[in-house]
Amino acid sequence: MDRALACALIFTWGLTMTLKRYAAIAAIALSLAAQTRETFKARLSAVPADIRTRADLAGSGSVTAVLDGAKLAITGSFEGLRTAATTANLHSSVAAGVRGPAIADLSLPKATSGMIAGSIELTPPQITSLHHGGLYIEIHNEKSPDGVLWGWLLR
Amino acid sequence: MPPKKKVLIMIFAGITVLLTGVLTGQQPATATGPYTAAQANAGRAAYQTNCAGCHGGDLGGRNDASQLAGSLFMGSWGGRTTSDLVGFMQGAMPPGNAGGLGEATYLNIAAFILDSNGARPGTQPLTAAAPVGIRSIATGQLRAQAAPGGRGGCGGAATDDRPIPLGGRADPPVPPTPRGLTVAGQVKNYVPVTDAMMRNPDPNDWLMLRHDYRANNYSTLNQITAQNVKDLQLRWVWAMNEGTNQPAPLVHGGVMFVNNPGNIVQALDAKTGELIWENRIGQSATGSSQRGIAIYDDKVYITTSEAHIYALDARTGKNVWDTVIGDRGDGAYSTSSGPIIVKGKLIQGLGGSLCDQYRDEKCFISAWDAQTGKLLWKFYTVAKEGEPGGDSWGKLPSLFRAGGDTWITGSVDPELNLTYWGVAQSKPWMRASRQSGNGATLYANSTVALDIDTGKLAWYYSHAPGESLDLDEVFERVLVDDNGQKLVFSAGKAGILWKNDRKTGKYLGHKETVFQNVYDSFDPQTGEPHYRNDIVEQQVGQWIQSCPTSEGGHNWHAMSYHPGTNELIIPVSQSCQEMNAQKIDLVQGGGSAGGAARRFYESPGSNGNVGKLAAYDVRTLKELWKLEQHAPFMTSIVSTAGGVAFVGDMDRVFRAIDVKTGKVLWETRLGTSVQGFPLTFSIAGKQYVAVSTGLGGGSPRNVPSILDPDVHYPSYGNALYVFALPDRK
Repeated sequence: MDRALACALIFTWGLTMTLKRYAAIAAIALSLAAQTRETFKARLSAVPADIRTRADLAGSGSVTAVLDGAKLAITGSFEGLRTAATTANLHSSVAAGVRGPAIADLSLPKATSGMIAGSIELTPPQITSLHHGGLYIEIHNEKSPDGVLWGWLLR
Repeated sequence: MPPKKKVLIMIFAGITVLLTGVLTGQQPATATGPYTAAQANAGRAAYQTNCAGCHGGDLGGRNDASQLAGSLFMGSWGGRTTSDLVGFMQGAMPPGNAGGLGEATYLNIAAFILDSNGARPGTQPLTAAAPVGIRSIATGQLRAQAAPGGRGGCGGAATDDRPIPLGGRADPPVPPTPRGLTVAGQVKNYVPVTDAMMRNPDPNDWLMLRHDYRANNYSTLNQITAQNVKDLQLRWVWAMNEGTNQPAPLVHGGVMFVNNPGNIVQALDAKTGELIWENRIGQSATGSSQRGIAIYDDKVYITTSEAHIYALDARTGKNVWDTVIGDRGDGAYSTSSGPIIVKGKLIQGLGGSLCDQYRDEKCFISAWDAQTGKLLWKFYTVAKEGEPGGDSWGKLPSLFRAGGDTWITGSVDPELNLTYWGVAQSKPWMRASRQSGNGATLYANSTVALDIDTGKLAWYYSHAPGESLDLDEVFERVLVDDNGQKLVFSAGKAGILWKNDRKTGKYLGHKETVFQNVYDSFDPQTGEPHYRNDIVEQQVGQWIQSCPTSEGGHNWHAMSYHPGTNELIIPVSQSCQEMNAQKIDLVQGGGSAGGAARRFYESPGSNGNVGKLAAYDVRTLKELWKLEQHAPFMTSIVSTAGGVAFVGDMDRVFRAIDVKTGKVLWETRLGTSVQGFPLTFSIAGKQYVAVSTGLGGGSPRNVPSILDPDVHYPSYGNALYVFALPDRK
């Protein structure tokens, strides 16, 4: 075996080992990333109602939110609204069941049923709030511009 | 209860919602009302049919059904218009049939309410389209009653179209049937109930509300077991009068004593359902069935919605004595639960508009001689300036300290010579309306332990100091001995199960039975809860959210202690609300039974399940099992030595549950919502289980109706059902 061939074999072996190491590291990283993905779910139901307003607040839905690092990806669906949806937002509050300000817009069709989606980079306090049940989704429609359905993201 | 019979409870859940809250009530009406005498007369009849069952025949309000005539009404509605009133009623009343009465009837009822608040009829009929300021025509001052037999008097109709003052506050309606002893009979071989029998009840009997002095709702009967309960069969049914029905029948010596809505008291053969005697007590055919009656010696004791106490001869049903609780000169007291009797003393709680008004005398618990009806003592549940606990109301003058109703019957420890009562919230509900600062407002939302002989306070424990969300802690006190400790358990609308030493009141632990966001921490030593900051800082006109709601958490549907498993089986509800405090002026005679708008929503994480039944270990407070469903549970729990617990729900289902697992062992569907206090008893060696269906009530029925309008039940069908195993062949 000449010197050049030996060097080539050694280089190839070294490259293979390096690639294997990188692959292993990448696999570990991916695995860790997968492990940090957290799933939250929300059941969408009527916003606060009294006996006079309850009939206008018809509809239901469900949402799944996946937290990957700081990114929260939201997908879901709704149906049964009396009038077409107009907007949807992600809100942050001090506790589950308590109102709070909108922190992101979500997309949805201007219809009485459909899909809802969105993605947002959460701040550390917002991630903390999410872990404590403080984030919720609210849908508005033409009849109820102050909100028709909402639901808290819970594990 | 038919829609037309359903009462307008939510008028005041909602009325308080719409409060603008300026209390004047002092200015004379200077204008004639924008309604006719004919409308008001028609409204009187419609009111008695559709509303009086909850709001009372005198418009005085009962529990969640607020006052409709007087200063509290003006505080809520004086600043709004007649159109608002009509619109609200059409949109909300009767509960479960909103808008179902037709516009003309709503207008007539509104005319009657205005008339009852001092307005005068005119020549123009009331219409929804022509708003008139209520304070501009009504004062809340109640006019003198019409002369007996006169036009427009009690239940009478005007004989012509002249504008006749209708006599102010609604009189009791003309009874549709005779009052008094309507069916004569004799209980044979009656054995007087002694103190010894009360302390150690015969397992065959059910001698008091929640079975015993300890409020354990537990029977040692064991013929019906977890293995054979599936074979239960209906033995007899007894239809009950219409109206708010949450009865707690008693059984002694094979005779069942039951109080119907409308103050109809009956003795029935508990084996066959045969009527023995019937007494339609009092003058009023309205009023709820009351949660519980009492039996002692040779008498049966019944309270009425007007806070009268009647003693009847248990053998014959004949009146022995009756008395009225409190000074009634300027308003109405009421009771919705009956008495408990110990050592010859009848101990009774109190509620009603006089407890909620700004006036000198405060709400109280009282004791009466069971033989004579003589008053023995009172314990006032609101601490005045200069009294022990008086500084817990901040700088609020004594005159403006209100609330402290005791609308659930207490329990008794004869050995310690103490009676334990829960006290409801201070009024108005919210701190911002109440102007009492952040003090505890004693003895609201406390357990009070009173000396049976004197009524003196032995100790108190404030479960919810400064409560602000209509989450009162008034419900049953359950006495349990465990591991050498004498314990008292309670749970309020916040859904916290409290464990206290019943000799001293010392805090021993707590458990959150439902999701709650009202408190963000508890002092580990004292148990004192710390409110969310935004609740503490709330201002008038600001919406505040909370879970649970006025429905509870826990409400009047009493828990059971099952000694075999050393567990408490508790019915609770899961819901949330937001409330908006109204301004309530500090004016003598004013005040508010509520003073806040309310809206309701699903509890996060409940998956829409309002109803929850769960068991908690007495020693560790660990949740052992739970059963969740959409429909709320509407009865107390009865558990037995057979390993079975019984419970009913709003969706008409009556169930037997395995006390060890919560598994449903048997269920049947009844005529309408199952509501009341189930009981079990034995006659000639055979065990029976009885339960009532019932309608009416406040938040425990109305909140779920908003959250889950798909739970349907007939709006009539009050009845008593009795079950047993098949006879052996």
